[in-house]
Amino acid sequence: MKTSTSKKSTLSRKPLDWGRVRRVAQGLFLLTWLVLWVSTAGLSLDARLLHLPAKIDPLLALTQSIASRTLTVEMLLSLVVILITILFGRVWCGWICPVGTTLDLFSFKRSKITKPGVPEIWRMGKYLLLLATLIAALFGNLSLLVLDPMTIWIRTLTGGIGPALSTAFTAAEKGLAYIPWMSGPLTWLDHAMRPAIFPTSDVDVRFVWLPVVLFLLLFLLNLVAERFWCRYLCPLGSLLGLISKFAVFKRRVNADCVSCGKCTSICPTGTIDAKRGYASDAKECTMCMDCLHTCPAAAVKFVAGAGLQERMSYDPGRRQLLITGAVALAGLAVLETKPDRLMIGDSHLLRPPGALDDDLLEKCLRCGLCLRACPTGALQASLADAGVTGVFTPVVVPRLGYCLYSCNKCGQVCPVAAIPPLPLEDKQRWVIGNAFIDENRCIPWADGGSCIVCEEMCPLPEKAIVLEERSITRADDSAGILKLPHVVRERCIGCGICEYKCPRGGEAAIRVYRLD
Amino acid sequence: MQKMSRRKALQYLLAGTAVAATAPFLESCRRAVTEPPTFPTTSANNIEATATAADLPYLAVARNAEPDALVRAAVDAIGGMSRFVPYGGWVIVKPNICTSYYPYEYAATTNPWVVGTLVKMCFEAGAGKVQVMDYPFGGSPEEAYQTSGIAEQVEANGGEMVVMSSFKFKDTKIENALGLHNIPIYEDVFQADALINVPIAKHHGMSWLTLGMKNLMGLIENRERIHRDFGKLLTDLAGKIKPQLTVIDAVRILTNNGPTGGNLADVTKLDTVIASPDIVASDSYAATLFGLQPSDLDYVRVGAENGLGRSDLENLNIKEIDLVA
Repeated sequence: MKTSTSKKSTLSRKPLDWGRVRRVAQGLFLLTWLVLWVSTAGLSLDARLLHLPAKIDPLLALTQSIASRTLTVEMLLSLVVILITILFGRVWCGWICPVGTTLDLFSFKRSKITKPGVPEIWRMGKYLLLLATLIAALFGNLSLLVLDPMTIWIRTLTGGIGPALSTAFTAAEKGLAYIPWMSGPLTWLDHAMRPAIFPTSDVDVRFVWLPVVLFLLLFLLNLVAERFWCRYLCPLGSLLGLISKFAVFKRRVNADCVSCGKCTSICPTGTIDAKRGYASDAKECTMCMDCLHTCPAAAVKFVAGAGLQERMSYDPGRRQLLITGAVALAGLAVLETKPDRLMIGDSHLLRPPGALDDDLLEKCLRCGLCLRACPTGALQASLADAGVTGVFTPVVVPRLGYCLYSCNKCGQVCPVAAIPPLPLEDKQRWVIGNAFIDENRCIPWADGGSCIVCEEMCPLPEKAIVLEERSITRADDSAGILKLPHVVRERCIGCGICEYKCPRGGEAAIRVYRLD
Repeated sequence: MQKMSRRKALQYLLAGTAVAATAPFLESCRRAVTEPPTFPTTSANNIEATATAADLPYLAVARNAEPDALVRAAVDAIGGMSRFVPYGGWVIVKPNICTSYYPYEYAATTNPWVVGTLVKMCFEAGAGKVQVMDYPFGGSPEEAYQTSGIAEQVEANGGEMVVMSSFKFKDTKIENALGLHNIPIYEDVFQADALINVPIAKHHGMSWLTLGMKNLMGLIENRERIHRDFGKLLTDLAGKIKPQLTVIDAVRILTNNGPTGGNLADVTKLDTVIASPDIVASDSYAATLFGLQPSDLDYVRVGAENGLGRSDLENLNIKEIDLVA
């Protein structure tokens, strides 16, 4: 367990165990990322702070600037990370990144499972992935940002772990409420947790299993090699690795080395090479500093010095880069070749208020902050709705949640204005789509029943749903007045509360369609 | 770490499953205990009318003053707040805070000063705890409480705005119901010593108006069930929940595009407050403010027919108070 290493450290002759300092820092950063994520729901912190997880990430800043041909001052925030990297190498990966920290927590370091060796050449994968991401960005395609660790982090919490915990919490409350004396404590707990951490009432989220499965996959890859993701795949790690090549402070091994091999076995990225005199690759080293403390001869130093990182066997050559570029271009050509007209399913492809389809695709980081901010569950991650290139972009799914008339949070939390920060008055006029009544399924139209829920719910000052009163004679000869809903096309903004609340089971009898 | 033995692993697995299964198990136990048997119903005539004190006016209407004065005059005329609130008791005040869309001027939510004054009067009558709550159908309760302006007035008068917890909606059996045999109702309503129902009088597409009886829909889950037959089902609901006092806010009424509102052209300022322990009588009187007959409202007609309350305004002792200076 952890105690064994820390015990050793107190006995150690070295005054400061940098490995322990790093672990504390990792914990604090993880907490910070968590707090920022939690606060996104109610916008309980300043929006600029909530943008931080996306703004500080150099890969997101770079690709988004390229794809959208814009450079915002806020994007320069990522220069902080670049500067740190130029000075100290991949500190982001070892100290700050929430995915890296989570992978450390599940490193299987102490498990008895022997890890199969992974060929060194696999390390090239992340560089090729980075190249593909950049080329795609050049053509306005940001689909590969789903692999950025910050977007993975937010997506996993928003689309998977968050809703699952929320469901579990609600179920536990309902179950415990059956015990009579629990009412008081439960009320206290409920008011402590809602709406700060969980929504007042559970929000529906689609495909909760997917982000969880994908994240579990990252854990399982740890069984193959520690921090498999960071070594072989992470495109952000790859970008920072390339910068680390020029890092001022690097790990260096001096002549005191006794070749005991302890550092090799402890290195989480496996970059310490006995054959090269226990030297490491600055592009791979996450500056975890565990080797510093492990070395019995104090031969490891992290010191400033000149000199570039030597070329490694797995660094991509011209040939690999060219092939990757060609594959990326071919892939883009295939993916971007789509019918120009909307297909059947597309007529329900609704984008958040203010967002235009093409513009959104060129700006959206696929980070999912908007989904976390949406209070009703109207915004859902797209899986198939928006095609392959739109995976994990936000779509409005009115049957799961309505776009709240008095809310413009999605535009406020979007770090790149892919959903523009519309003032509330403008958002209330933005037409997401239009509602159409299916008269074959609508309770009054189809069954002669009494229902006006859509009209009742319509939030507009002049309701976009009006009721036509029709005198009818029922089958049993009784007379009555039937109220039939109609949509007033020019008033409807497609907020979808009618579709959400429609009491017809399954597919609603009133549905929002896009207009273009 | 030591390798986990199979026995240990199984124990953990079992314990984990047990913990995970607790909630659904308890839920199913609860359902087994509280699920009502289905049987044919006859009538609901055993619902008692709640107005008692014979010498007091059955219903009071105050006009032409500020909201706080209107509420005081109307409630004092029917015996004062101490008639309804026991000393040291727990009071729940239920205004209409239907959405988070518009402030009170739009007459979609109860007037904040009407609610605030009621809170104040409850404390003056010796109430120990006064809680104000509603469950909006559009937007979150926290935001709706703020937007409506009600939170500010309630807190200024020492009351507590409570966000209703979903786990407190418990499936409740209604005996001899006309159609609503069971529905999840907010349990605190039955545990509190008094429930004060404070709707705003406004337009509604199906029932013409939403008033006192319809306001009780904020205390239940599965509201869409009520839409099938407002008359019978609201009579069942009001008979079960039985607020001690209904105060109808007609300071501003919404005459069209209700219940959500949003258009000042649909708002009429009447400066009127109605108070009565009889929810049906209150709604009946409020109907006349819109130029309707009480019997135009399904739920008033069915409620009166089934003894929930009275709608024969001409036979009631009604005190009209004009506070014009």
